[in-house]
This record gives sequence, C-alpha cells and structure tokens, in this order.
Amino acid sequence: MNHPVWDIPFLGSGWIIGIISIIHVSIAHLVVGAGIWLAWLEGRAQVGGDRVLSGWLRQRTRALLWLSSIFGAGTGVGIWVAIGLVNPTATQHLIRGFVMGWAIEWLLFAGEMATLIVLVRAYDRLRPRQRLAVYWLYALCAWLSLVVINGIVTFMLSPGQGWTTTHAMWDGFFNATYLPSLLLRTLVSLALGGLWALAAGAVADADLRPRILQPTAWFTLAGVLLAPLAGWYYFRSFPPAARELVLGNLQGATGLAQGFRWALWGLGAFLVPALLAAWARVSPASFRRPAALVGLLLACWGFGGFEWIREVARKPYVIRDVMYSNGIRVDEVEAYQREGFLARNAWARTFAASKGDTDLARGEALVRSQCLACHTREGYRSLKALTAANAPEDNGIFVQGLRGLDPAMNPYLDRMPPFAGTDEEAELAGKYLASLKGK
Amino acid sequence: MTPLPLPAPDPLPLPMAPAALKALLLLTFTLHLMAVNLGVGGSVITALHALRGTPRDRDLVRRIAPMLPSAVTFAITLGVAPLLFLQLTYGPFFYTASVLTAVPWLAMIFLLMAGYTLLYRFTGSAGSERLHAASGIAGALLLLAVGLMLVNVTTLSLRPDLWAAHAAASPHGLRMNTADPTLWPRYLHMAAGILAVAGLLLAGWGAWRDHAFARMAGLRWFIGATASQAAWGTWLLVKQPKPVLDLLLDGMSAPSLTLWLGVACGALALFMAIPASQEGSSARAVWGPFGLGLASTLGMIVLRDQARDASLAAFGFHPGALPHRTDWLSLGVFGLTFLGLAVLLIAVLRWAAQPIPATPDAE
Repeated sequence: MNHPVWDIPFLGSGWIIGIISIIHVSIAHLVVGAGIWLAWLEGRAQVGGDRVLSGWLRQRTRALLWLSSIFGAGTGVGIWVAIGLVNPTATQHLIRGFVMGWAIEWLLFAGEMATLIVLVRAYDRLRPRQRLAVYWLYALCAWLSLVVINGIVTFMLSPGQGWTTTHAMWDGFFNATYLPSLLLRTLVSLALGGLWALAAGAVADADLRPRILQPTAWFTLAGVLLAPLAGWYYFRSFPPAARELVLGNLQGATGLAQGFRWALWGLGAFLVPALLAAWARVSPASFRRPAALVGLLLACWGFGGFEWIREVARKPYVIRDVMYSNGIRVDEVEAYQREGFLARNAWARTFAASKGDTDLARGEALVRSQCLACHTREGYRSLKALTAANAPEDNGIFVQGLRGLDPAMNPYLDRMPPFAGTDEEAELAGKYLASLKGK
Repeated sequence: MTPLPLPAPDPLPLPMAPAALKALLLLTFTLHLMAVNLGVGGSVITALHALRGTPRDRDLVRRIAPMLPSAVTFAITLGVAPLLFLQLTYGPFFYTASVLTAVPWLAMIFLLMAGYTLLYRFTGSAGSERLHAASGIAGALLLLAVGLMLVNVTTLSLRPDLWAAHAAASPHGLRMNTADPTLWPRYLHMAAGILAVAGLLLAGWGAWRDHAFARMAGLRWFIGATASQAAWGTWLLVKQPKPVLDLLLDGMSAPSLTLWLGVACGALALFMAIPASQEGSSARAVWGPFGLGLASTLGMIVLRDQARDASLAAFGFHPGALPHRTDWLSLGVFGLTFLGLAVLLIAVLRWAAQPIPATPDAE
C-alpha cells in the first residue's frame, strides 16, 4: 500500500465497501430493470389506450427519481469514496486506466437523471409518443451506464494479456468476462426491477391490479429464471485460477467456507421470487405487497452472494495479475523483497516513526500495510485468532514462508499476496503478530 | 529533516495533456458549483423564508422550492466529474488526505442522503398549507455540513507537512483537519459564497419572472452574504501558508491579479446591489450586480486552483509536468456519446417546454 492505511478495528475495511456496495448494487440494478419495465408497460398501455395504467406508471417515475437520485446516486458516490479509503492505490490505478470510461458513465448517468426529471416535472407537456420516447431514452441511459461500468468491474477479475501489455483502456474493457457479466447483470436488473414493480402494483386499485401484475409477473419470471443460467455462463468464463479458487472454497479448503455457505443459500433464495411472480400471474387479486418485498430481499441476497463469490474469486488480487488486494503491484514485489518494504514505502516508515521506530513498531507498520486490507487484529478474519496456535518464534518463520513466489513453496499464494519485504522484515512482522497474543 | 510521506505517483500516464485535464476540472467544477449554489444555497434561503412565513415568503417558497431537488440532483451528478479529474491529477494528495480523515469523509455520504431526504420532505410540503420548515432547515444544515467535509479533505490535501502528525494522532481516521488554520475561514468563505450566489440567482429569477419580492429578497441575501466576506475572506487570506500569501499579495503574479480582480468585481456588485434592492427599484438594475457577482465567483474558482498549485509547488509537485499519453480513441467515444446525448436531450427539453395540450394525450 502506497498510501496511509485506514485501520478499522473488529469490522475491517472490506466490510465498509461490502455494506455500501450491497445497497448500491441492488438499487442500481433495480433502477435499470425498472426503467425497462416502465417503458415496456407504457408502450403496452398506449397500444391498448389504457390511460389509467399510464397515469399509474407516471406515479412510479416519482418513486424512481426519489430512489435513484437520493440513494442510488448517494451510495454510488459512497462506493467510490469507500474504495478510495480502503484501497486508494488500486482506486487511483483504475481511475488512471479508465478515466474516459468513468467519464462516459457519468454522461449516461446525467442523461438518466435529466430524462427522469423531465418525466416527473414536464409529464403533462409531453405528447404520448414523446412520453414513450423519453421513457425508452431513460431506460437506455440507465442500461448503457451498466454497460460501461460492467467493463471496469469485469476488468478487475480478468484484465487479460492485451491490457497488461498495452495498458489501452479498450483492451481491458472488452475482456473475457465482459459479455457473460453483462448478460447476468441485465437479467438480474429485470428480476429486481420486476419485483419492485410487483410490490408497487400489489397496492393498486383492484380493477387495475391485473393489468399491472400479470405482464409484470412475466417480466420478473424472465429475469429470475434466466439469471441463474447466465450466472453459470459467467462463472464458466472466470479465469481458470479463479474458478479453481471458488470450487476449492466450496469444498472447505479455506476459512471462507462459512461465507460461501451464506452465498450459496442466497443463490438458492434467488429462485424463490419465481414462485411469488407466478402467484402474481395466476391470482393478482390475492397477491400482497409483503410477498413482493420479501422476494426483492431474497433476490438481493442471492445477487449479493454472487457478487461476494466474484470478489473472492479475484483473490489474492484486487486487479488480477496486476495488483494484489493490499495495493502492492505484482511488479513491485521483487524490489520490496530485495530492498525492503520500509525502505521503499514512505507511509510504513512514517507509521513506524510515530511509534518510536522500535522493532515492534516496524513490525506493526508492515502488518498494517500488507495485511489489514483483508484482516483485522481481533475481529473479522482475526490475525490474533489465526496465529493463536503458533509459538512466538513460529510467526516469523510463517511470514518468511509467505515470501515465496512459487506456489509449490507457498501454499497460500492462490488466495493471499506474498509478503513483500526482506527476511528481516518478515521476522519483524512475525514479532508483531506474536505480540497480539498478549493484548 | 524527515522527508514528507508523499505517495509515489501511479505508473500509468494521464490519458490527456495536464492542461486539458485542468480545463475540464475547472469547467466541470464551475458547473457543479452553480448547481450547489442553487440547490444548497436555495435550500437555506427558502427554508428560512418558510420559517418566517409571511404571505410573501410563502409565495416565494411555493415558487422556488420545486426547483431545489433537481438542483441538488445535478449538484451531485455534476460533482462527480471534477472529483474524477481531481483524483486523476492530484491523486496522491487527495487520497492521502481522505484516508487520514476517513470517517468525516465517509460521513459526507450519509449527511448528503439525510439532507436530501429532508429537502424532499420540505419541498413536497411547499404546495400545501402546512410547510415543513423544520425539515427544510435541518436538510439545509446537513447539506452545508457536506460542504464542511469537502473543505476538510481539500485543506488537508494541501498540507503534506501536517500529515504525519495527523496520522499519529488519528490512526483510525476520526479526526478533522482542525490543526490547519485555514479550515474554518475557508468553510465560512465558501458557505457565504454559496448564499451570495444563490441570492443572485434568486434575484435574477425575480427579474426574469417579474417577481419583485424574489428580486429584492435575493439581492438582500447577496448583500448580507457578500458583506460578510470582508471577515471570512480576510481571515482566509491571512491564514494562508507564507509562500501562498506572499504570492497573493505581490500585486504582480497571475494569482494576485485574479484575487484583486475578483474582489473588485465582488465589491462593485455589492455597491450596485444596495440601491437595486430597494422598494420600487427597476428590475433591470439586477443585471449589473448579477453579472459582476458571477464574474467574481468565476475569478474565485480560478484563484482557488492557482492557490492549490502554489501550495503544492512548495512540496515539489507540478501538475503540468505529469507524463501523459493521449487516448484519442476513448476521447472520440466520449465525444460521440456527449454529442449523441446532447442532441437527444435538447429534443427532450424542447418537448418539455411545449405548452400543455388542451386535451390530454393529444398527438
């Protein structure tokens, strides 16, 4: 890590990103799906001359504006803030590499907001065809912003040889997992947007309810049933090492098994809303809003579980083959191991100096810089618990083992960055880990 | 002397010339700031008028409040672009400062969402008999607090000499940049500027829509806020680090000329606004202070950038010297997206400006 470390006791910094991301990703996909649903249903209403349905859809644009402008935009900026705090080195690298991608996504988001505001504030001035065109333009902007952000998210999992050679944005953007991920995200959007629409339609007037719920149920079913297939296609496109890591974890090969169990339950839960949508299709009169809301939560859990698996599949990298999860670039490790991390890292030196520059302080500086991106001292993925069984002198030997760059010599290399420091620094880190026992 | 902990720059080159990035940063920041002036400054002004609650105040609130949520939406959206360009050029300084003051920086997001929610509640009540003035006041205060968090990170990013002590005192990123004497004057200077420009925009709207009370009230807000800059602006100036202060006061350099030109425009606008804000004054009298006030604001935006570069030059950082490799393909895609979207949005806005048809749903 090239920057100072944000040290969050017990919870760990990764969860800050996780919590904000779960909320944002759910809202962002929901808004994309809801945009497509609005345009599609408005088209049906206009073809059928159903003014009551059009009037009802108008009210949904207000809810969507409220949701996307406050919470969608707020948590979207929130993710950006959070990744900048937790891994500033990686964030800077992504911004440098993809700035025009972010800029294009920004234009599309501005278009999304502008069209939605026009629908809310100037609805009465629009002729029906114009209104439908604005609905579709809103849906297109929302989906295209997903198209753009998908390129950057998938790049982190599978940057590909092209980008690592040229560093050209489009070589990284259209990577091996790009299309499968886009397909999955589009279908998840339909599922989430559809469930949101079912929740809204469940409290509409009794005579209007079937005209909303029955077509919306098909819309939702398409998303819920096709998304798992797209998820499997996406998983098959993962780089082989990432696939192996996921499958190994599923078999309990690492301490992540508990997380995987939660994620797998979530993937199962994702299918439950299909039953709820079928209920809305068959018996709209008896369908109730809480059912749709529960379905929405289950679908968010399922998608969140998949996102968690995708994040884990990237280990030990934040950008596969380019940068480790602790912000150390792959091409820097050798120099750190040869010349010393403390000699080359201003913030680790600064931290050690602030604590008297003792061996323990330098050890702590090394552990903060290289371990706290994923671990905490005594909370989530606790270093204290993980090293509790070690004799004090074993910790240094253990960290020295982590220096290995050959997977045959360092069995942790598939999920944990190598220790980027000299043998002496490994000893210092080990001393600090041993000191946790007494705290 | 211990070397300062400046992070190493990212190895990837900038995707365009630093001067082009600087121009984009200033352009998008100006657009963002105008939306902030309208959204946040407008929220403060309308909330306080709602609290006073005379018939004229309530009429003003009913007319202005519906514009505010859209203005805040655009303030957020337009704020993303300058933050992007800022991180691109000034990344090592910005990221370091944000991590050192992580909790207040992250809190900004929650303040923003809470403030915005309250603003919606307030503006939603504008058409009804029972105005939620308290929601408006609370929402406006929260949005102003967002500004404090931004100023907090910005001031810390300019002072690498304070970083080591800050990090030692606050390993969990809880502390604000209170060790920097420019924090509070800079915040108050910014908040007063937001109110002043919001007042000008209100006065301009009043002159355009022939609403005498909006015109006079707007100018009075402008006068009060701008007059207070004599205190906040002077305080901020004298608390600048010595190399920056010397530069600003030398009367010869570009930053110094920008400063005095901006102050002159602001002062002239202030003196012209006083007679224009009296009962019975002509609506046309608004446009002099309006133009000069906006010119002063533009000057301050440029000055802010010049002062930033002067501050960081003292630590050996020169944005113009950063390596770059122009990514023409991506620029082309961006340009085409911009043009395509602009054409479509212009068409949509023309539709949105049509008169309401006599029969609903007429083709």
